[in-house]
Amino acid sequence: MEPTEQPGSTLLDVRKLSCGYGRKQVVFDLDLRVGRGEIVSLFGHNGAGKTTVIKNVLGAYRPTAGSVEYDGADVTGASARANVQRGMALIPSERFVFGDLSVYDNLLLGAANLADDGERERKLGKVYELFPILSERSKQQAGTMSGGQQRMVSLGLALMSNPRLLLLDEPSLGLAPAVVQQIFSAVRALADDGLSVLLLEQNVGQALRISDRAYVMRSGRIILEEDAATMKQRESYWDLF
Amino acid sequence: MLAVTFETLRQLIASGIVNGASYGILGVAFALILGVTGRFHYAFGVLYTLAAFFAFTFFDRVGWPFWLSAVVGVLITVAMGVGIEALIYRPLAAKAGSNALLAIFVASLGLGIAGSNLIQIFWGAQTHSLLGFALKPVSVLGANVINVDVYSVITAIALVAGLTSLLRFTGLGRSIKATRSNPEMALLIGVDPARIYLVVFAIASLFAGIAAIWAALKYSVEPTMGFRPVVLAFVVAFLGGTAKSPVRVFATGIVIGLIETISSIWLPVRWTQLVVFVILVLYLISFSVNRSWFTRLGTALTGKA
Amino acid sequence: MQVAANYIDQILIFSIFALSLNLLLGYMGQVSVAHASFGAIGGYAVGYLSLTHGWNVFLAVLFGAVLAGVVGAIVALPALRLSVEYLILLTLGVSSVLLGLFQTFPQLGGTYGLIGIPIASIFGHDLVKTSDWILPLAVILAIVYSICHRLGESPFGRVLKGIRDDDKATLSLGKNVVFYKVLVFGITCGLAGLAGGLLAGFNSLATPSQFGFDVSLAIFAMVIFGGTGNLTGSILGATTVVLTKPFLEWAVSLAPETAALWRLTFYGLLLVVLMRLRAQGLLPEGVSIFRPSTWRAPRTNPELASADVVPATVVAAAEEWETRLEVVETPADERRRERTWADAPVVLEVTGLSKSFGSIVAAEDLSIVLRKGTITALVGPNGAGKTTVFNLLTGFIPPDSGSVKLNGRELVGSKPNRVARAGMVRSWQDVRVIPRLSSLQNVMLGVQDQSGEHLAPLFANVAGVKRREREVREASMDWLSFVGMSDFADTPAGALSFGQSKLVALARVLSTNADVLLLDEPASGIDTQWVEAMLALIEKVREQGRTVCIVEHNLHVVDHLADHTYFMELGRITDQGTFQELTNSPRLAEAYFGTN
Repeated sequence: MEPTEQPGSTLLDVRKLSCGYGRKQVVFDLDLRVGRGEIVSLFGHNGAGKTTVIKNVLGAYRPTAGSVEYDGADVTGASARANVQRGMALIPSERFVFGDLSVYDNLLLGAANLADDGERERKLGKVYELFPILSERSKQQAGTMSGGQQRMVSLGLALMSNPRLLLLDEPSLGLAPAVVQQIFSAVRALADDGLSVLLLEQNVGQALRISDRAYVMRSGRIILEEDAATMKQRESYWDLF
Repeated sequence: MLAVTFETLRQLIASGIVNGASYGILGVAFALILGVTGRFHYAFGVLYTLAAFFAFTFFDRVGWPFWLSAVVGVLITVAMGVGIEALIYRPLAAKAGSNALLAIFVASLGLGIAGSNLIQIFWGAQTHSLLGFALKPVSVLGANVINVDVYSVITAIALVAGLTSLLRFTGLGRSIKATRSNPEMALLIGVDPARIYLVVFAIASLFAGIAAIWAALKYSVEPTMGFRPVVLAFVVAFLGGTAKSPVRVFATGIVIGLIETISSIWLPVRWTQLVVFVILVLYLISFSVNRSWFTRLGTALTGKA
Repeated sequence: MQVAANYIDQILIFSIFALSLNLLLGYMGQVSVAHASFGAIGGYAVGYLSLTHGWNVFLAVLFGAVLAGVVGAIVALPALRLSVEYLILLTLGVSSVLLGLFQTFPQLGGTYGLIGIPIASIFGHDLVKTSDWILPLAVILAIVYSICHRLGESPFGRVLKGIRDDDKATLSLGKNVVFYKVLVFGITCGLAGLAGGLLAGFNSLATPSQFGFDVSLAIFAMVIFGGTGNLTGSILGATTVVLTKPFLEWAVSLAPETAALWRLTFYGLLLVVLMRLRAQGLLPEGVSIFRPSTWRAPRTNPELASADVVPATVVAAAEEWETRLEVVETPADERRRERTWADAPVVLEVTGLSKSFGSIVAAEDLSIVLRKGTITALVGPNGAGKTTVFNLLTGFIPPDSGSVKLNGRELVGSKPNRVARAGMVRSWQDVRVIPRLSSLQNVMLGVQDQSGEHLAPLFANVAGVKRREREVREASMDWLSFVGMSDFADTPAGALSFGQSKLVALARVLSTNADVLLLDEPASGIDTQWVEAMLALIEKVREQGRTVCIVEHNLHVVDHLADHTYFMELGRITDQGTFQELTNSPRLAEAYFGTN
């Protein structure tokens, strides 16, 4: 999908974002956009600041400068709780499930937003459809499942809140290629249904397969913005990292 | 083999369970606070004591009916517990950053010291009796206990059952477990930790208040009544596990109570008081023992590489 | 007069309690709520030995102090690995056990304790009146103060503060943290025993309530009021706590019992207020209720706060280095680099290193070689296990099998401090400077072989320690200048920006004079300008002949720095060579980027 100039097609608009932790500034002057129904990848080496960006977008931290616009409204510095209610969902790269809790509990935790039980049941049904194994193992403690299955739980948890923007942090970490493919295909299917995704990844190959556009970060700044098709043509990615 | 009659054993088991139920309920409460909020709430003992004193004041001095006095006493304790979290611990944690645990412990110590002395200033240092209702002996499966014992064990079980159900079946319970299990992730999915902390403090203070009323009825109301139960609460919470289900922590409390009474078969009474702490210290030592010491010791002894 | 003397004596005795707890809690950061119960060991020793065996009271005091010290050292052992809340619980348990034990033995007077301890006499003088005690107690306090001062404000004390703020980092710099903890627990509990014995002798009784939990809390409060890390403050704290009661009796005409209660209430509330005022960095250096100027956190140096500026000298070095980069490397240059690498002698030889955590394989049959005067890089996709390698090499994690030889000497099985002393140190991804020590003190902490860090020379060879300290200071200033941070020598490291603290951390590992430096993500978390500064410095370090190994995710950095690169995947080394060779391999590209 080509990025268009039409107003209203942008769901997330980040401008001149600067943020960090305490006295440590990690992101400098960053611009980034995600359109509706787009999958945008954000690549970059470990420590480049990708996770910091999405945590500031969600509201887990407050940026020191810059703005975050979501669905036309300025949400800079809004709380994570408020943004989750607006339709954002973030899945971290580590510790992304509630290990002591059952799969069912994990999924229901995502559903706090949903108005009534009926909607909750429906959403749960859809998640079970997407990842049947979660239905089979709904009583199992999430921490005892395999890495790939835990990823599915985390994705299911995020989907339960009916998100419009999904912020995914390195979902492929530690997973076998076949499992990664399965999860990424599920994400693509959801995007085709209208979900916007900002995907942080090191696994460039798999990510480009499902992405529309991509950014590359290094040392806290964006060094490249390209559509996926163009990036796929590149000979090597070594100089991007 | 020491000669112990069946009757004696039965009696010891009964009193062990009665004591253990109260240790258990306090342990569950403290474990909930420590597990979910990470705060070492030393002032827990003062809240326990205050519930008894307020109930006593309303009943004995103001003249209200006993049940009303008890309920109001417990409610005041709940309000104070929530107030301490909202007005003292939370602002402190916000400012203290990485040293929050220690800063809160010290503040809690201060509250505990100030609180227990204020109690003595306002109510005097003497012991009072809470004559809420008549104590009657009751025989349970042949063991001699009193009616208050039966009520306190029943309420303890009811409270633990209630909490377990809350945690297992409700959205609030899920949010509490989530905050305990993975606080960063809980924040990311929109759980409000501040609200959860207040709820947890309310629940824990409720448990403490109710346990205090039963203790006051059975024994007496006096300013230092909170010290020992609270230390036992710490022990039960740590041994039972702060991330474990309330049932397990409660069971640990019962076990501790039983160990305390049954050890009197072999130990003089003065020693039984110590037993719990010796167990605690041994547990902490085992916790921290370097497993490789054992391997190296084994290697040294057996001469194998 | 005797009434005043009574209070003076109490102040003197409790000052000893407070000073010793301050050393344990304020300087070394170990929380203990059992301090008075160690005093009980001393007190009961005095009671028992003087009453039952007719010992001279002061002799019994000394014996009690030694006994308390031994028990304290034993308690230190489980305490070594416990986090704060467990340590609180442990000391609570120990306190209850000790007091309980004293009450169970009839020979120790049961719940009533021992009364009627005979009059103490020293050098033939009987201490009959309370005022007789003042001089001996003052002398003993002076001695205790000098001991605590010597321990706390010295190279030894610097190590304690390092342990307090970050014991892992301190361990990685070659300090035997276990030994310090056991030693200081022993000394401070011994001093508590001393104070307890003196208290029993003074009061002529040793009772449980004299050493109860509330007394431990009172001592704790004395230390907090006076300011942790502030020895004079502890004496002032003791004075305040002891005198509040008579003050309330006199000023507000309260009855003694009521005064006691109000005093306790007052200082309980004061603890809460003090925490609210100055909670950040609880147990901050020298914050004392007696010095309001210390109440507010110091405003950071405006130059620091406004700009996260790379020091000028480093910028110059970076620029100079950049011009050299302009020269494009030809393949011939590449090959020459590789040959130079291959010619350099081996300094670190790692063979067959393996480690699994249950079913997770962190390292499998790892074999790498670090050569003198070169920079080797470890790269690999996320989760490859690169940081684990550093932990395995430095002894933070014991490997399941394999060997690590530094200059031929086997290091497997050595603790991190031994590894550091053998000549291999590491830096940390999260930097880990000691926040409450200055930049200079941080660098001084890294220097090896400081006589002032050891107990015997500290007291026996004062001149020698002073001389060595001067040398260490000069050497450390040189390293600080090397990284361009000499202007910030006296700034607390916690006030520095992230990039600045990385420079100080680099100076710190350099000051160890270790042969091998393992740098964990030296370029992470900093802006481009800083990255280039770090690169320039690391280059200079190589020119000095040191051996460097870096773990890096920023491949741009690796490309510029590394003489030789190892590629890691899922715990195994799967390839090695120059960076160009590795990036030309399609298989590696796939492993790293997952191209299909």
